[in-house]
Amino acid sequence: MRKSSFVLAALLGASLVGASVAQAADAVKIGILFPLTGNAAAAGQAAKAAVEVATDIVNNDHPELSDIPLAKGAGLPGLGGAKIELVSVDHQGNPSVAQQQTLRLITQEKVQALVGAYQSSCALTATAVAERYGIPFVVGDSVAGNITGRGFKWTFRVTPLAADFGDAYMSFIADARKAGKQIRSIAIINENTDYGTSVAEAIEGAAKKANIPVAARIPYSASSTDVSAQVLQLKDKQPDLVIFISYTADAILYMKTMKSLDYTPPMVLGDDSGFSDPSFIPAVKDIAQGAMNRSAWDIGKPGSTSYKINEMYKAKTGHDLDDTSGRDLQAFLTLAEAINRAGSTEPAKIQAALKATDLKPNQLMMGYRGVKFDGTGQNILASTYLIQLKGDSYELVWPFDRTQNKLEWPMKGWR
Amino acid sequence: MKEATTSKIAWGWLALAAVFLVYPLVFQSAFFRDIGVLLLLAAISASAWNIVGGYAGQVSVGHGMFFGVGAYVPLMVFTHLGWPPLLGVPIAIVVVLVLSVIVGMPTFRLQGHYFSMATLAVAELIRLLVGTWDFAGAAIGLSGPAIPRGWWDLTFTSELPYYYIFLGVLATLLLVTWQVQRSRFGYYMRAVKAGERAAKSLGVPVRRTKLFALMLSAAFTSIAGSLYAIKTGFVDPESGFGILVSVQMLIIAALGGAGTLIGPLIGAIILIPLQTATNTWFGGGGSGLTYILYGGIIVLLARFEPGGLVELWNTYAPRRWRSGSHAP
Repeated sequence: MRKSSFVLAALLGASLVGASVAQAADAVKIGILFPLTGNAAAAGQAAKAAVEVATDIVNNDHPELSDIPLAKGAGLPGLGGAKIELVSVDHQGNPSVAQQQTLRLITQEKVQALVGAYQSSCALTATAVAERYGIPFVVGDSVAGNITGRGFKWTFRVTPLAADFGDAYMSFIADARKAGKQIRSIAIINENTDYGTSVAEAIEGAAKKANIPVAARIPYSASSTDVSAQVLQLKDKQPDLVIFISYTADAILYMKTMKSLDYTPPMVLGDDSGFSDPSFIPAVKDIAQGAMNRSAWDIGKPGSTSYKINEMYKAKTGHDLDDTSGRDLQAFLTLAEAINRAGSTEPAKIQAALKATDLKPNQLMMGYRGVKFDGTGQNILASTYLIQLKGDSYELVWPFDRTQNKLEWPMKGWR
Repeated sequence: MKEATTSKIAWGWLALAAVFLVYPLVFQSAFFRDIGVLLLLAAISASAWNIVGGYAGQVSVGHGMFFGVGAYVPLMVFTHLGWPPLLGVPIAIVVVLVLSVIVGMPTFRLQGHYFSMATLAVAELIRLLVGTWDFAGAAIGLSGPAIPRGWWDLTFTSELPYYYIFLGVLATLLLVTWQVQRSRFGYYMRAVKAGERAAKSLGVPVRRTKLFALMLSAAFTSIAGSLYAIKTGFVDPESGFGILVSVQMLIIAALGGAGTLIGPLIGAIILIPLQTATNTWFGGGGSGLTYILYGGIIVLLARFEPGGLVELWNTYAPRRWRSGSHAP
């Protein structure tokens, strides 16, 4: 038995070997946490690829992307041309693993900053560890309201959050009414886990504030195989705008069910996610013409900066950049710009530089009004576009002053 | 001869205890201490499961329901009443005892796989219900104190206090289990495991034995859940009530040897560092190799050594080290 304890001790010790990796001379080490396996593996892998593209933009000379800070010239000029080195981990969508891996990135890998983490649950636990150790954590894509606002001083969030989406939809409705579209009431259809619930609540709250009647709020399970009851409920209430907060398979199922029940509301508005999934358009382009979608990402015209970034991403992954990964890419570039400005890899200096961040819209690849953090670390200039399905791709249609494309109202659907 | 074996076993336990006591002092890095904490947590939940699943042979695949209650209640009293999460721990135990009676009474009429299926179904049901219950944070989950208001919030910067708290709980649990397995009740449990009908005909109160075993097991599982929530500072339906929570307890106990005192601990000592190491080495690439390795080991064990590592030890270790068919 005594011998076995030595074996046990050896086993415990065995796990330490993986930790120590020699640090390159003057590279800046940034840890990235995404769910690379599990339910959200596809999204996590896409986000990781997007961050790798961002690293390429910073580390190598990209004069063609001249508006983007750090694209021109190689490396970080503020640190004598230092390159960024990524340390990627898989948190498996598990909050406890996210906590543990953040700890490892900070104490073993000695990263100078962190970016992550897709699932809000994982972002919540990972940022808490970064806060304890005083390492800046830039949240790229997790939208739960309470990630910022917990009194943390090391958490910064570039992405717009649920409340911003609610406000954006209401200003769109106000603009559309001004333009003569009739929107008497809206309906909210949401999948019933954290994403759908939090966004639906934010929209409902914003609608109440803007005095827009919500004719129906219908939560459902994203794994449903039949949604005709929900569609019939919509048909009965006759809302002028139906907002879907859905994942992929269910979004497609709704479009098909609406056709089979011969119902098209004047307008369908998807809240990103399912409507942005690469498989959505091929599946429903013949029956959901004119459907709108939220996205802060617009590929843009050939030759534009966003178009070129999309080409880089496409060369790497074989598909277009989506909104979620785009937000991570933007978060990473924001962090890199701050580190460069800090001129140091000291966490406190990076934190100070992040606080002083003030990026203008033309310096961004996403459609935010800029990047500027408030006292809680939330980007107050985060915003979103609305896009509309025309033919087999989305076109930017709102804000009206940002585009020449005309909003088609009501939507054609399959007709 | 019998006494010599006993003293050897005692020395073995002492040595193991010493290793655990000095581990965080030898490995001072926060990450290694964290692995230690997670290992202890896994050992606690698997040992708690082991009482009803191992000794009494009632293979529950729904222990996540007790773990989840244990995790949720402390964060609920924090979120809604502003109390320190610690005060939720006894409340959770009471809730779990009631729950185990409600679940145990009908399901213990079932045997074997049917019992396992019933517990699995109940746990899934609770997970879905909690996911739509606003008071429990619905699908979004609940957070603990982000910034501690005092030591009583048990939100520490260092992993060290967690480590020794968890170690204390594990030691208590193993002591209780050791006492129970030597008592009349312990023999009842093993009799039930060996054959319910035979046990009944010998006058063993079968259903009462199973129910008490479940209650004891559930109470400790609830404590494990509370420790998890207090340490992680967050719980959502998946991390509290998810099926993986239940399955992990079962796998760890089975790997080490279900129905033995040291089995779950051995399972945790092997599986947790393995999980961490594979994820650390191979996770970042995103190839999913973590799960392949993890699954492969489980398949190998299930195929060649279903009794767990303790049985393997008893078969192949030199005779003088063997501890008998029922390792302590």
